[in-house]
Formats: sequence, C-alpha cells, structure tokens
Amino acid sequence: MTQRILLHMTAPLREDFDISYHDIGEEFGSPRIALVAGLHGNELNGVFVLSRLAAFLQEVAEGQQAGLQLRQRAIIIPAVNILGLNTLNRHWPFDNTDINRMFPGYDAGETTQRIAHAVLEVTRLAHYRVDLHSASLDFEELPQVRLYDPTEDEHAKARLFGLPAVIERPTNTIFTVTIGHAWKTYGGANFVLRAGYAGNLQLPHCEQLFHALVVFLQRTGIVHGKPASEDSEEDVHYFGVEQTARIVAETAGLFISHLEVGRWLQAGDLIGHVFDGFDGQLRAEVKTPVSGLLSGIRRQPLLFEGDLIARIQTRQAIAAEAHDDLDGWRQ
Amino acid sequence: MHVHHDSILTLELPYRERLALRRTVFHGGGGPRVAVLAGVHGDELEGLYVCHRLAAWLEDLASTQPEAFLGQVELFPAMNPLGLDTLQRLVPVYDTDLNRNFPGHAQGPLPQRIAEAAMRHLRDAALVIDIHASNIFLREIPQVRINQTFADTLVPLARRMNVDLIWVHGAVTVLEATIAHSLNSRGVPCLVVEMGVGMRITPAFTEQLVIGILNLWRDLGVLAGDLEIPAPSCMPLLADDQNVHYLNAETSGLFIPMVEHWISVHTGDLLGRIVSPYGGSILSEVRSPVDGILFTLREYPLVYEGSLMARIMATDAPGEEPHRFARPLGEGQDEGGR
Repeated sequence: MTQRILLHMTAPLREDFDISYHDIGEEFGSPRIALVAGLHGNELNGVFVLSRLAAFLQEVAEGQQAGLQLRQRAIIIPAVNILGLNTLNRHWPFDNTDINRMFPGYDAGETTQRIAHAVLEVTRLAHYRVDLHSASLDFEELPQVRLYDPTEDEHAKARLFGLPAVIERPTNTIFTVTIGHAWKTYGGANFVLRAGYAGNLQLPHCEQLFHALVVFLQRTGIVHGKPASEDSEEDVHYFGVEQTARIVAETAGLFISHLEVGRWLQAGDLIGHVFDGFDGQLRAEVKTPVSGLLSGIRRQPLLFEGDLIARIQTRQAIAAEAHDDLDGWRQ
Repeated sequence: MHVHHDSILTLELPYRERLALRRTVFHGGGGPRVAVLAGVHGDELEGLYVCHRLAAWLEDLASTQPEAFLGQVELFPAMNPLGLDTLQRLVPVYDTDLNRNFPGHAQGPLPQRIAEAAMRHLRDAALVIDIHASNIFLREIPQVRINQTFADTLVPLARRMNVDLIWVHGAVTVLEATIAHSLNSRGVPCLVVEMGVGMRITPAFTEQLVIGILNLWRDLGVLAGDLEIPAPSCMPLLADDQNVHYLNAETSGLFIPMVEHWISVHTGDLLGRIVSPYGGSILSEVRSPVDGILFTLREYPLVYEGSLMARIMATDAPGEEPHRFARPLGEGQDEGGR
C-alpha cells in the first residue's frame, strides 16, 4: 500500500475530501526524499511529473523495472492544493490565500495553515526535499534548480539533477513563509525546481523534469542499478545571485516573441516586439542589453509598463542595479 | 489654505489607458505634514469613506476658520486603484497582495512601483494612518494594530485615536513587507487601523475614527491648539498575543452567530453554531473559552475546518488561563487587513 492520507477535510457543502500522498519503500525507515508539487493549484507540470514518478518508483519497488532497485523510502505529494487544482486556481480558492505563504503552518489554525502544517509534518524527516513549481501563468521558465541561501551541500548536490541551470536567488521577507524556508529549519538538502508556465502542461519540460528526478534518485543512491546516466552532453551552469539580468517593459502593449527558453543570446539580440493593440503599429523592439542564457520569457502578450519580459543568466556578475533582486515574491 | 489633486505615479496599461495613483493635498501653514492611506486592499472600503469625511471636514474648515489649519494633509484613498475599480482584494493581473510589496522598487512591476512611490512621498511625513477594513470574512471593532517593535512610539499615539482596542502583536518577518513596517522602520510613524468589514461601510465607525484622527492632528500641531473638536469618547483596551484567543471552526458548514459583535462574554457562553443545510442537526457549537470581549466576529457564513469565527480578548486576571488559542506566526487571512 503506497497511498496514504495527508489530511482528511470536511467541506461546507461538498463531500469530505482527502489530500493524499505516496509513501514508497516504507520498509527502509525514515524517508530519504520528499517531493512536493501543486502547492499552487494551477502549476500542472509538477503535478504531472510527480504522478508519473510515483508510478515509476512503484514499479521499481515491485521489481518491474529491470535492473533497478529502490533502496530508500520516498514520499511524493503530487498536489497539495487540490481544491485549487480542480478549479485551476493558484491559491486556495475559498479565501484566496497562497498555501506557499502559510508555512510553517499551525495544526489548530486556519485551513491553509493546517494544510501547510500537515505537509511539513510528513516531509520534514526526509533528508532530500524537493518542491516543484511552474512559473506564473504569464511567464515560462527553463527547467532549473533554484537555490536560496544554499548550504555547501545544496550547492554541490544541485548539479545532480543535471538540469541546464542552477540559479541562486536572494531570499526576502516573503521567502520566510514558504515551504523552502520551513524545510531549511530542519536541515537536510532542499531544492526548488521550476519549469515552464502555469495553467497548462508543457510536455518537453515535463520530460526533462522527470529525467532530472530519476537521475537525482540514482545519483543519490535512492534508486540503485543501471549506472546513472553519464550523459556527455550534460551541460550544467551555475549562476550566482548577481548573474541574473531582468529585461523590463518600458512600453506597454501587446508583446510577441518566438524565442524559446534555453537559448544563449548575444548582447543586442532581439527578444520580441511590442505592438499597439488599437492601431497595430510597432511600438518597440525589445533587445537584450547583456549576453547570456535565456532562462525565462514572458508568454502573456498583455504588457504593462514595468512588467518582466525576460530573465537572462549572465556568465559574469553584473552591476547591482541591473541584477534581479526584486521579483522573488512571485515564487 | 488651498487644495490640489495630483498623481504620484502613472503607468501605461496594455491597451490605451494609463493608471494613476491619485492623492488630494490640503495645504495650510508650515506645520507638520500628515497622510491617510486607504484601499491598499481592493475589497476594503471603510477607509475610503473616512477620507471623504476628512476631506469634507477640511473643506468646511477652509471656509470657516482657515487660519486654524497649520500643517498639510494628504489623502491617498485608493492605493490599489485597479483592485478597487475591479472589485479585487489583490492587485489585479499580478494577483499579489500590495501590502507584501513594500518598500517596493521603482523599476519593478506595478505593485512594486506603487510601493516605491508611496514610500518616496511619505518619507518625511510626521504621521501616516493606513486604514484597513478587515476582509469580507470578519467584522472588527475600531482598533489600531501595532508591531511590538514600534510599540513605545506608536502606543501613545494610538491611545489618542478614539479606537476601542489597541492590539500589540509580535514581530513576524513576512509583515516586514507591509507599508506600516517599512515606514516605521525608516522613522516615519505609521498607525494601522482595522475596522468594520470588507465590501461594506460602517458609518458609525467612520465618525468615531474621524474624531480620533482630528484630535491627534491637533495634538501634533497640524490643527491649531485652540480649535474646537469633539472630544474622544473611547478608552482603548490593550490586547496582545497573550490575551487574544482565536476560535477556529472544528468542522466545515454554515456558521450562524448567536450573539452580537462587540459584547462581553463569559466562559462557556454560546457564541454561534455550525450547521449543515442538508439536515437539521447542529454540527458544532461555538463557546467562549474565556471571560472577555468579543472583538472579532465572522461575517461570512460559510466556513471550512479551521476558518476563524471569532476572537476574544480575555479580561480575566493574567495567569489564570493558558493562552491555548494564541497563535504562532504565520499570515492567516484573518490577519488580512494588515
């Protein structure tokens, strides 16, 4: 039996409901890894990837994946905010609160504090902890590992996912009420993985995330067997807090771009165009002032003045006023 | 004395509109400059009416005793103009709480720019009052909420505000991103008022608060010391994290209050019931855990397990009752107004 109930709740008018999780390899004692997705109900990539990972690990545990063995226990919560997931809402829909702003939670508190508390209780004993997110509805991100004030161990192990970018970001006051911060108080090695955009699935990103998680499980010895992928093409880049440049809209309008995340750009390269939605005229060409890896780009055409258009990871540190220290609130 | 209207920030919207953050400025003499903010959350309207009443009072003063206006008053009734005009608590499109975006950034997206513009314009104010109206779920008596970090400065000011309660709460890191914390930590005194309920206006609370604000302005020298103003009628109770008890729903359903808001209660008193529309039975009875003052009462009937239904400030002697409902840090939506 691998399915367990994280929390059973009543609803005002609908049936009672459960938030469930997978507990695979129980015979190995404390969980070695805990993976969480769907703290935000509209971030579907992580939900899909973790549901597939749970199926895969179950097969490994049952000996149905030739040559692979599960050596340690894994906790997988594909979706925490199930009411938000079923109504495609980032927040807990009843009171519009953000579950990832409710940590460490409180078992006698508000509904979403109770949920946060339950998630923390079932994940805090694991050594490795991974929280999966999409970016917002408006913004697509290259599959990446995010680090916040990392330990040396986190810094080193982040590369084991084999994702193209490991990006360290500054912490801020909002971070103190997220699961990532709550986990840090219990030690271990904690990672936030981000890929794609909310509101939909992007299958190539999902495949990349799934592969990254399997590789991580193998390289950490949780799954043993066939040698972990030693992909000679694997090209991991580490970016410190001063190596993120943000491109911000100086002109409002309709933003159009055909660029794909993951491309390396040269200073002066075209990012996209801003059109006037009334007369159809070109209002601005958006170009990158720096060279680097395109780690995120706007997918929502409606553009306010001041909106984030793209993030570029630079090879060298850039000046403080240019680097990206102000949109951590969107995590 | 003269009045002018302007904007402290304008920003281009995607389709042929500009958003403006508007203010009304009343210029008197060279005395202290004070400000009132409202509408940080787009579903909180009580402060908008306070701004109107203050403006009406000041306009009347201009025609009767202009020489008694010694300072400068700035009203910012719509800090989240897009949220107010579209009936949304958060900043529309960004879906973020404006009051978690301070001190903001001039090159950031809209919520960050509003925050930065407000901080820049308020940095030399003698007093800022940020008026909140709880949220759509809970009704509050007029109160000032103060982070204990700034209690020494702010409690004496709050005592003159003609509110019924002053609540000094513990420091919580996430609340450092509020406008009040950002101003107070930069040496600009900012009082957070909570009163009434979201999406509604409670005129009696408005008149009570307006009297408090005018008295405080006179004490600060914004208004002449000999100007006649109705005297404050309220002596605020002092609440803190030790004497405030939280009543969270044991089960989901319809919460039906059995008492009026803002009364004294005794241990064991029936305050409300949780029922189901599917049947006639009572799912849960809500009783007071202490003797005290019922200062928060749920207004929105539907509850989930955990939803806050009431808050009671215990009035019994300290030490008699463990504070078992005192809550640890976090930012539940019952704190929404802050």
